[in-house]
Amino acid sequence: MASTRRQLTPRQAFTLIAVVLAVALIALVLYLLFYMAPTGFTELVVDPGEGGLRPIMVISGPGTGENPSFSRPMGAAFGPDGRIYTVDTGNNRVCVFDDNGRFLFEFGGFGVAKPAPGAEASWEEGKLNSPLGIDIDDDGTVYVADFRNDSISVFDAEGAFLRRFPDPATRVGFGASGQDGTGIAVTDVAVRDGKVYATDTYQVVIFTTEGELLGQFGKPGLEEGDLDHPNGIDVDENGVIYVADSNHNRVTAFDPDGEVLWQVGERVTEMAREAEYTFGLPRDVALSEDETLLVVDAFEFDVAEIDETGIIARYGARGVEPGQFNFANSVDVRGSDVVIADKENDRVQVLELIR
Amino acid sequence: MRWFAGISALIMIGVLAFASPALAYDEAGSGRTCIECHGLELGESAVPTPTVTRKGPHGGYSTGTQKCETCHTVHVAPLGSTMLLPAATIKDTCNSCHDGTGGQGVYGVLAARGLTPNSAHRIEATNIVPGGATDGSDTSRVFSAAGGLMTCSDCHSPHDGQTVDPFTGDRVRDASEAAQSEATTLTPATNRLLRQRPTGADSAVTVYGSSWCGGCHKGRLSGSAGVVNHPVETETAGFAYDNVPLVDGIDQITTSLGSLGGTNRGYTMPATRTVEQAGHKPICQQCHEDARSVGDVTQGTIDASEAFTVTTADGTTTTDNPRFQVFPHESVNDSFLIEENDDLCLNCHVPPGG
Ligand code: HEC
Ligand code: HEC
Ligand code: HEC
Ligand code: HEC
Ligand code: HEC
Ligand code: HEC
Repeated sequence: MASTRRQLTPRQAFTLIAVVLAVALIALVLYLLFYMAPTGFTELVVDPGEGGLRPIMVISGPGTGENPSFSRPMGAAFGPDGRIYTVDTGNNRVCVFDDNGRFLFEFGGFGVAKPAPGAEASWEEGKLNSPLGIDIDDDGTVYVADFRNDSISVFDAEGAFLRRFPDPATRVGFGASGQDGTGIAVTDVAVRDGKVYATDTYQVVIFTTEGELLGQFGKPGLEEGDLDHPNGIDVDENGVIYVADSNHNRVTAFDPDGEVLWQVGERVTEMAREAEYTFGLPRDVALSEDETLLVVDAFEFDVAEIDETGIIARYGARGVEPGQFNFANSVDVRGSDVVIADKENDRVQVLELIR
Repeated sequence: MRWFAGISALIMIGVLAFASPALAYDEAGSGRTCIECHGLELGESAVPTPTVTRKGPHGGYSTGTQKCETCHTVHVAPLGSTMLLPAATIKDTCNSCHDGTGGQGVYGVLAARGLTPNSAHRIEATNIVPGGATDGSDTSRVFSAAGGLMTCSDCHSPHDGQTVDPFTGDRVRDASEAAQSEATTLTPATNRLLRQRPTGADSAVTVYGSSWCGGCHKGRLSGSAGVVNHPVETETAGFAYDNVPLVDGIDQITTSLGSLGGTNRGYTMPATRTVEQAGHKPICQQCHEDARSVGDVTQGTIDASEAFTVTTADGTTTTDNPRFQVFPHESVNDSFLIEENDDLCLNCHVPPGG
């Protein structure tokens, strides 16, 4: 009749505790699964070893949609809130992840601004054509180097198109490398204190964030400060401009007027034999929180930390494991976090710089 | 309690799945050259001719400014690693620059301007050579990329070793090159790092021309059994890329020998054939090259509007003819034909009754 409160036998008690523990553990695991591996395409790295560049996570795509995986990602940058903006060059888009690597949204899509005769001008606001470099302003505004459309496209933090400059059909200053001599074939951008700095085939071009041309310097040649296919740029608080002068195998620091302050690396003129050289193919630069410069070297498969006196350290090796690279193409820094576009591994890596 | 053990095991697996092996930083791996281990000397034939100025970082010497390991990977995987490197090393190395970011583009140039390539030597996509067998049928071949697929180094030597003689070309590749006109030599003669023996060729050829293409497309050479090919000239007859009959100028029908490169005047062979042409047939490149507008029906001569004008690389100047200089990588025309349909034949043949 009335329910009786029975005493649990020790065996039953043990079973109950075991069940409770098991459920708690399962919950923990599920939590960890959700928290640490939010999508099938982000992988958190546990136990990353000691010192140097310690891998934190590997992102190989949004994990959903038409193109769940990256194709030759060539740029990546942190937003002010720690978001990771990835330029998925092969898919002509930018994919955005939160600071845990959880996919948020994407924007872009293929659009041609300067078609060949007979081809369709498919560009409309927000479309991209072989986008390369990217940088995010303190207010979250996103600047994308839209390489094959000869201009820089600007988006708000949520990916809404704001504007583009320069006009790809207009000559820039005394001329730049865009098709028909108009616009700039821009490989990378850096934004700081109201100015946007861009690299083209042989020069650095500086605009206001609204797109007004402020200046340009650089030319082909072998002299100090000459540029040959630079692919990376960053700027410090004093307006010093750091350029990865890729095909000259060097990194050059310019003052705000374009005068050379220093350079690290020298042109490689023949195959390495006994001769040592500094950089194989420097493709991007980023200032670290200690004012050193991180240089991504595609052909040395590593990241070099330098200052004006030369190499301080080199991190990484060739490979497919976390912390290894295969023709990495870009680097950005936020605090001690570093994000690298690991191009030919079709992924982006977030690592922590520990000394 | 078996279920409990089961759950614990599951949990263990779950936990272990997150634990990657500790990473080894292979610092010793870089900074050494092949020579230290193998005592190699590079080929002595690599001395550049003084006129070779457009090799960019290839230094007029060889393709690699990079260390040997970039391409010759020694597979020392980190401890605990089960994965190997992606095999596309040569392509990835070349495309670090030739995707347009470090040199002019090679593949992808057409797509970037909204066009669709209608023919291509696709990279790492096929091992079937159309017309590759001597009887004219398609044949498979073991090329250099993973899976035996064709890649850049099947035609180009990354070492600039055993390469063909320099020849004049159509291209403007370097932005620092001055704008050129038909009157001047467009570009210095260079060998484009082309192998004397593209992969699969039976014998080496020192000059670029029909026989070079025929090294792979054996069944497209004249005299292939069982196929009806257009007759072609070969090096043995003295005809190659740098030695074909060019009409002497706009609206002229006399010819003299010169390079097919840097002009449109070699793509026509006016009938009646001239002294230089008599007894000769065209080379492959007179029909297969960058798409261009050339010639007209009357006598195969060219007029001013069809003159060769290449001022910038990759077809970046809209008025250039040919627009794109990417042969033999991709083309908007079928089968890399310079012009399609009757237009092509009429460059050299007067139609019956015409
Ligand atoms: C850009 C890629 C690349 C680089 C860099 C490179 N190699 Fe090679 N190497 C190749 C390829 C492809 C082959 C096979 C085809 C060939 O013969 O060129 C090869 C073949 C060779 C061979 C076989 C002999 C021969 O010539 O066929 C030797 C020896 C060699 N390489 C040595 C070196 C040395 C030494 C270095 C550095 C100084 C080096 N390679 C750098 C791509 C490269
Ligand atoms: C470091 C950047 C870089 C790399 C890597 C590179 N190239 Fe080049 N290459 C250039 C530049 C720059 C030129 C000069 C013309 C131009 O701008 O395209 C050039 C020119 C050439 C030429 C024309 C040479 C001539 O004789 O006219 C060929 C052919 C070529 N490259 C093939 C290759 C191949 C094949 C590879 C891979 C094994 C390769 N390149 C890797 C930058 C590079
Ligand atoms: C290393 C071997 C090799 C050499 C050398 C070579 N080809 Fe090819 N060719 C191929 C292969 C393989 C294909 C098939 C490509 C594909 O399916 O993407 C092909 C395809 C073609 C096609 C058909 C392309 C299409 O999409 O319809 C033409 C035309 C052609 N080749 C002409 C030439 C000419 C002309 C030359 C000399 C300038 C040449 N080839 C040199 C291997 C070669
Ligand atoms: C089927 C053979 C073949 C393959 C495969 C091939 N090429 Fe070429 N390439 C050529 C030939 C032939 C030329 C010279 C064309 C001319 O100048 O008329 C050339 C020219 C070039 C040039 C120089 C263009 C110039 O300025 O004259 C570059 C750069 C180049 N190739 C890069 C590459 C790269 C990178 C790859 C692989 C991604 C590749 N090639 C694959 C045959 C090939
Ligand atoms: C008189 C002009 C002419 C000459 C010379 C010529 N071809 Fe062609 N070729 C053509 C035409 C037209 C086609 C397209 C029709 C066809 O497929 O037969 C073609 C097609 C091809 C194809 C594609 C065939 C297929 O099966 O898809 C290849 C490969 C080719 N040619 C290679 C060569 C080679 C190699 C040479 C030099 C040995 C050469 N051609 C010389 C006109 C020519
Ligand atoms: C670049 C010039 C050129 C082009 C383009 C060209 N031919 Fe020829 N063709 C010749 C020459 C040269 C001969 C050798 C006989 C002669 O002098 O007329 C020849 C011979 C021929 C012959 C006779 C073959 C034989 O065995 O005697 C035929 C048929 C022919 N061509 C058809 C064509 C057709 C069809 C086309 C278009 C697909 C074409 N040709 C495009 C230059 C050309």
